[in-house]
Amino acid sequence: MNRNNFFIHLALALVLVLVAAFAGQLSRWRKQWRSHMGPIVSAEKKRATTTEEIALSETRFGRPEVLVKFKSGVSQETIERLTALRHDRVEDRIENVEGLEAIDDLDNADAATVVSEYQQLAEVEYAEPNFEIELDASEAAGPLEPILPHDPQFTDQWALSNSGQRGGKQGADISATLAWATTTGSDKVVVAVLDSGVDYTHEDLIQNMWMRPASMAPYHDNELGTIDDENGFDAIDSAGDPMDENGHGTHCAGIIGAEGENNIGIAGVNWKVKIMPLKFMNAGGFGTTKDAIEAINYVIDRKKAGVNVRIISASWGSTQRSRALEDAIRKAYENDILFVAAAGNATVNNDRNPHFPSSYNVPNVVSVAALDRHDELAKFSNWGVKSVAIAAPGVDILSTWLGNAYEEKSGTSMATPVVSGVAALILAEHPRMSVDELKKKLLASTDPIVALKGKTVTGGRVNAAKALAN
Amino acid sequence: MAIDKNSAVENARNDLARRLNINAADVKEKSVEDDDFPDMALGAPEDGEMSGQMITSGWRIKLEAQGKTYEYRADKNQVRAFNFKGKNHRI
Repeated sequence: MNRNNFFIHLALALVLVLVAAFAGQLSRWRKQWRSHMGPIVSAEKKRATTTEEIALSETRFGRPEVLVKFKSGVSQETIERLTALRHDRVEDRIENVEGLEAIDDLDNADAATVVSEYQQLAEVEYAEPNFEIELDASEAAGPLEPILPHDPQFTDQWALSNSGQRGGKQGADISATLAWATTTGSDKVVVAVLDSGVDYTHEDLIQNMWMRPASMAPYHDNELGTIDDENGFDAIDSAGDPMDENGHGTHCAGIIGAEGENNIGIAGVNWKVKIMPLKFMNAGGFGTTKDAIEAINYVIDRKKAGVNVRIISASWGSTQRSRALEDAIRKAYENDILFVAAAGNATVNNDRNPHFPSSYNVPNVVSVAALDRHDELAKFSNWGVKSVAIAAPGVDILSTWLGNAYEEKSGTSMATPVVSGVAALILAEHPRMSVDELKKKLLASTDPIVALKGKTVTGGRVNAAKALAN
Repeated sequence: MAIDKNSAVENARNDLARRLNINAADVKEKSVEDDDFPDMALGAPEDGEMSGQMITSGWRIKLEAQGKTYEYRADKNQVRAFNFKGKNHRI
């Protein structure tokens, strides 16, 4: 480039900069004029929409374009006159929705202002910004890669990863391997397994068992006295040893939190978590309502003492209603504790034949139905489009058993800890989430299942990966 | 100690005889079948009893006495009278 050409290019660049600056100022003048001289908005109305306007101004818009739905009967001529008066133009007419127009503001005013203008018009039913839809961060970064643990029996855990093993339906699982790309759990989250106790010496559980911190005082109840609850609580004998004599509680505990990636046995929904073992059912697998209440009271007490116990997993029940048990569960709700409960195995509609505690109308209760490996409602599972919230795998579920063993078991008992486990994963990611938010998150992140349509509130199977998204 | 099928039937027979105030020899075994029950109370919970909601394998025992049929349910942990005069009983 010679010296003359250089000065010509420099001059051209300066002219362009000046033109751009002038255009920008012109736009600002127009906006100022519009805000002072444009459609008259009463002060009262202005105040009423302030919050909304702030929210809109904080939203990212692709361009100053709005979607306006004119009332039925407003002619196209009127629409065009109204838009022309505001120096706007109809960019597109949405054919399938009568009166819905995409309107472009030729002055490049911000969308919130334009929406406000149109909302004032008597001819308009509603107006809203044309939001720019963008991928969230996780999607933008690409799909999550599944994480597969090296626990030797993981391949038999169809509930976590269904590859079609033993004739099952590929993908009919809770998407655990994708969820684990986000989190494998946290030892700061405590899940109370209210059951037949837990074999807390099981080699696949021992690292994930809760123990009362040495700094915390032993449990004291005015009636029961002081109990050394180092390993949890036994409500049957009002003692501190919740050793499982049945196996049911140990099985449920393994589903929630058998240690993952330890090259032993199986992986729980959580590889890391703290299981608080509570015993109220005996060697036969049954117990009394009174002892269940005692154990719930224990959980609430420990929560108040500082233990981050946020979930009670309740794989039990009966058809007998107890106001006292309902009150105890409500108390748990008031203490921000989720109560996940088995819907029951009587192949009945719980809307008509309620099963308790899963049918209590308490906000923290999540009632769980069981699915098989084909994504069909288990033949034994109860259901209820009003009373059963969600479904999870509950047939031929492999988990921990007494004496370092593993067994496959079936029941809504097995589906319940799957949901409790997913709730614990959510809390690992969102430790301050309230019980209401936690329940909402669980129920909003299911996979729709044809067999569940009209059978449960959500009509879906719990999905751990979806529950952790966003 | 785990209960086996034979001892479960024997326990059931003795229980029914006691409830009906008759001799155990007058209670006849009608059928004993392997079955899966819906929960750990074998689908026969007593009042105020909660049970694990796990499918539980056991035996459905039908006994006959005084011209009537009575049902008992049992597994390795327990024997229960099912719907005896409208109530369940763990024996």
